[in-house]
Amino acid sequence: MQNKQTAAIGETAGHEKPVRRQWLRPDARPAALVLLATVALIVSMKLVNSDFGSLNQLTAILITSIFLVVASFGQGLVILTGGIDLSIGVVMGIGGMIIAGMTRGSDDMLVYALPTALVCCAGIGVINGTGVAVAKLPPFIMTLSSGTTFFGIGLALTAGSSQQPVAPALQKFMSGSWLGLPLPVWFLIVFAVLATLVQNGTAGGRKLYAMGSSPGAARVLGLPTTMLTIAVYGASGLCAGIAGILLAGYSSSATLDMGNALLMPTIAAVVIGGARVTGGAGIYLGTLAGALFLSTLSTVITILSLSQGLRSIIQGGIIIGALLLQSSRSAQRH
Amino acid sequence: MESKRISRGIAKAAAAALVSSMCVVPLSQAKAKDHYKVFLNMSYSGNSWQAAAANGIKALAATPPYDKMIEFKTVISGTDVQRQISDLQSMIAAGADAILIMPLSPTALNRVVKQACDKGIAVFTYDATVTQPCAHNVSSITARYGANTAQWMVNQMGGKGEVVFNHGVAGTTVTKTYDEQAYGVFKKYPGIKIVGDFYGNWNDATSQEEVAKILAAHPNIDGIWSVDGSYGSLQAVINGRPARLVTMAGQSNNGYRLAIADPAMQAKGLKGVSSSSGPSVGGYAFKLMMEVVTGKKKLEQQNVEFPLPWVEPKDVKVCPGDAFVDGCNTFPADKVSALFLDTSLDGKLLPELSIDAVQTGNPKAGAKMEELPPVKYADTLPGVNCTDCTPPADWLEPNLVKPIPVPN
Amino acid sequence: MAKASPWYRRLGGGATPAMLLLILMLGIYAVYEPSALTSFGISNLLNNAIVLALAATGLTIVVLTGEFDLSGAGVVAICNVMAATLSMGAPGSMGTLGLVLLVGLLVGAINAYLIAILGLQSLAVTIGSLIVCQGIALVLLPAPGGEVAEAIISGVTGDLFGIPIAGIMFVALALAWTFLKNTRWGIAVYAVGADPVASRLSGLNVPTTKFIAFVLAGLCYGAAGFVYSAEIGSGDPRISDSFLLYMFAAVAIGGTSLMGGRGGVRGSLVGVGILTVMQKMLFAIGVAEFYTNIFNGLIMIAAIFFGQLSPLVARIARRRPA
Repeated sequence: MQNKQTAAIGETAGHEKPVRRQWLRPDARPAALVLLATVALIVSMKLVNSDFGSLNQLTAILITSIFLVVASFGQGLVILTGGIDLSIGVVMGIGGMIIAGMTRGSDDMLVYALPTALVCCAGIGVINGTGVAVAKLPPFIMTLSSGTTFFGIGLALTAGSSQQPVAPALQKFMSGSWLGLPLPVWFLIVFAVLATLVQNGTAGGRKLYAMGSSPGAARVLGLPTTMLTIAVYGASGLCAGIAGILLAGYSSSATLDMGNALLMPTIAAVVIGGARVTGGAGIYLGTLAGALFLSTLSTVITILSLSQGLRSIIQGGIIIGALLLQSSRSAQRH
Repeated sequence: MESKRISRGIAKAAAAALVSSMCVVPLSQAKAKDHYKVFLNMSYSGNSWQAAAANGIKALAATPPYDKMIEFKTVISGTDVQRQISDLQSMIAAGADAILIMPLSPTALNRVVKQACDKGIAVFTYDATVTQPCAHNVSSITARYGANTAQWMVNQMGGKGEVVFNHGVAGTTVTKTYDEQAYGVFKKYPGIKIVGDFYGNWNDATSQEEVAKILAAHPNIDGIWSVDGSYGSLQAVINGRPARLVTMAGQSNNGYRLAIADPAMQAKGLKGVSSSSGPSVGGYAFKLMMEVVTGKKKLEQQNVEFPLPWVEPKDVKVCPGDAFVDGCNTFPADKVSALFLDTSLDGKLLPELSIDAVQTGNPKAGAKMEELPPVKYADTLPGVNCTDCTPPADWLEPNLVKPIPVPN
Repeated sequence: MAKASPWYRRLGGGATPAMLLLILMLGIYAVYEPSALTSFGISNLLNNAIVLALAATGLTIVVLTGEFDLSGAGVVAICNVMAATLSMGAPGSMGTLGLVLLVGLLVGAINAYLIAILGLQSLAVTIGSLIVCQGIALVLLPAPGGEVAEAIISGVTGDLFGIPIAGIMFVALALAWTFLKNTRWGIAVYAVGADPVASRLSGLNVPTTKFIAFVLAGLCYGAAGFVYSAEIGSGDPRISDSFLLYMFAAVAIGGTSLMGGRGGVRGSLVGVGILTVMQKMLFAIGVAEFYTNIFNGLIMIAAIFFGQLSPLVARIARRRPA
């Protein structure tokens, strides 16, 4: 509590431009808060249902959160630059469909199918990025339209569902375990570390922050904003592709519409994690926390056995609550 | 050329409207001619069920003699009901003779459906229904899936155990109807405890995620009731609790059918029934519609029931070829994807179809249309297939499965 | 803002390329579908478009202030469900209209409070309120059903002196915005959207401006839900699920910048027209099936791309003499 007060004062004093050596710490606070809220959710559920919160339960939540965790990294990068990617759901479906369509139930083609799927998905991202950076189309519309278009192309080519199962190796990966932990959880840990490094530990990542907080200044500084933008959307496509491949492996088959339900949650995860939609703020740890929070929340709501209407009301209410909680500092500015 | 054909269609439609406005319109009017303009209006797309249904319909429309008789067009409206309304209006204007619809809503299309009927267009729906009385609904929604499957599970479980409830899509009449029936049956047995429920959205990936989560919280579940997403639900149990499987009711995914008939799985406790509405209802509705339009059949009532598929483990019979012949109803695992819906085909009612036909929409080589047996008219369910009507008194009770007494 | 602009630029309210595209598409549609220009065809078209037009109008106002609002689809769902359950009962048609507008206003005010006063991020808040509203709709009506009073249906979809009511509403929306945007508040909306910091420094009340925008938007969504109910004659809690993206598409195609400060309602109305006619035109020229999706996407991109060219050309033209 004490800390929060001083931080608020510090921020007010710093006004719009936070002091340089402090840039990580205020950013990390929403992440910590959201993680705390996640733990609180699990603990409070344990009071209702004693089976809840077991190791099994936690790994189940982690495994099912992996798609959101991966896809929202891409969304987070795009939002960091002040954009948004609405094609993520479609790209996920396309990634899964390519894997299923090329492997046709055997592992032989997997070495070709994986790169093909990832290149195609990243390619859609690059098209998005080009539209945004070169043709100057608003990201919202560019990605929405390309999503619609590629969904149509996918439908025309496949009629909407893979006729063959995905490679057994992928299915085994999603259900196997190593050292007592499921493989997807290992994947999640490695991915989270890499993503944090990329977003918050590299020069490229720092350039994105500069670009997001002030595109004009970034250009004056000589940052290659066009290339960076294209790269960011490409990365988002790539992440969506990976998420789609994982989802196909998890459910051992793919449909074109299987990613649609994940689009909104990727945005929610990023924003709950402390990012600003206008760009330039938020760290991957926050996005990760947001994704885990949303997954836990949906698990809790499932266990409570409520009607869908009440589920939605609670879910939406908690999202707003989380926003209120973490931005109580910014409210003090007024 | 194009516009001429259209205007001729309009003149014809106008004439038909004139005729129909002068006399009381019978439910279905046959007006035999040699060329028909037929539309398939899909709404949802991008999943296995819709793809299989649409491909089956397309393959039938290209099967002789319909390939020469029908000018067939598919239109996908998406999930926005106003777009579906707009497309239906366009079809009316284009002089359609018959429209086969997968309606987005049982009530929202009523006005435009009425407009179509008034122009003498035969309007049929498949799987989902509309309450407008001038349209024909072809569906198995009235076949008491919810009551029958729930009763089957209760019987298998001996009237007690923990059950997980996998709803379909919230806010739809199908979900409401089936849920009401299944809940009603489960509630009669105090030993049955519903420990978790979720909306699987008829989607296997979602169902699998949700069952995995529930299983972690309730490690002792004994049964899963589902409408669709059954293979995903089962996968979650196989991954999470491989030594002890569950009693299930659900769809007709090929992987699911193979699993329930697999002695190794049965030894681990898997008992399952494969039922639920299958994509072949689309092909059936198309055949029926064409027989009505060409005057071969006359329908006396609005609602036609498509027989509810019902395959218990003992009924599973693997097919050697790529069509359902001699009563076989499942394919070997290497032939189709685990999610392939075996009810895309129907050996008795749709012998014209093959695996390839429902996967690509191309007709089966050498197939010829065969006439349908007499139809079974459906029960009326208010809000589902009619407005001012009463449901049968026992519409919540099973009619395929005999209930066991409540254990004490 | 804009100085003396030639008549053709005023035609679409700054959305000239979009307007030209709309005329082109209408032309193609009319050529391929002779019934397009009959009164039946036109009133169908207007009735198809009016719900989206109302909702997009609301969204435009919010977007002009530089904020997002995803709650529209949720409000439409609640209002549709209310109209289908209430209008045959005690509240009657006018009572239902009042209640529905009140709900829209209420949701708008809650959004406004959280965003304009507390300073929360609009995109995130309205994702939350969208989900809550959809939930409320499902609680009020768990499955499609209900019935909308005949008075509402005929009142909204009928015509007045031979002119479709939907057409009158279209004109009313355009006129209302022409009036509103010249009020003090309307001018503030553009200023706040273009540069909130400068607006604050120059003494404009940024929170109040945004607050009013969200509330007005809520009212528009409420009205859209009411008209939607009249169009479909019943209630369906999931009916507006796919509505949201079309709302945004209409706004963007109409030339309103999603960053705020530029554009207007008339452009959005043109955008609505494009989206509505597109569906009809694609059908008329025989683009069927999956390709509809592809064309939908490509036309949207093209519309916006050309829309972007016009300010660019204008800027170049302005720079040259200087």
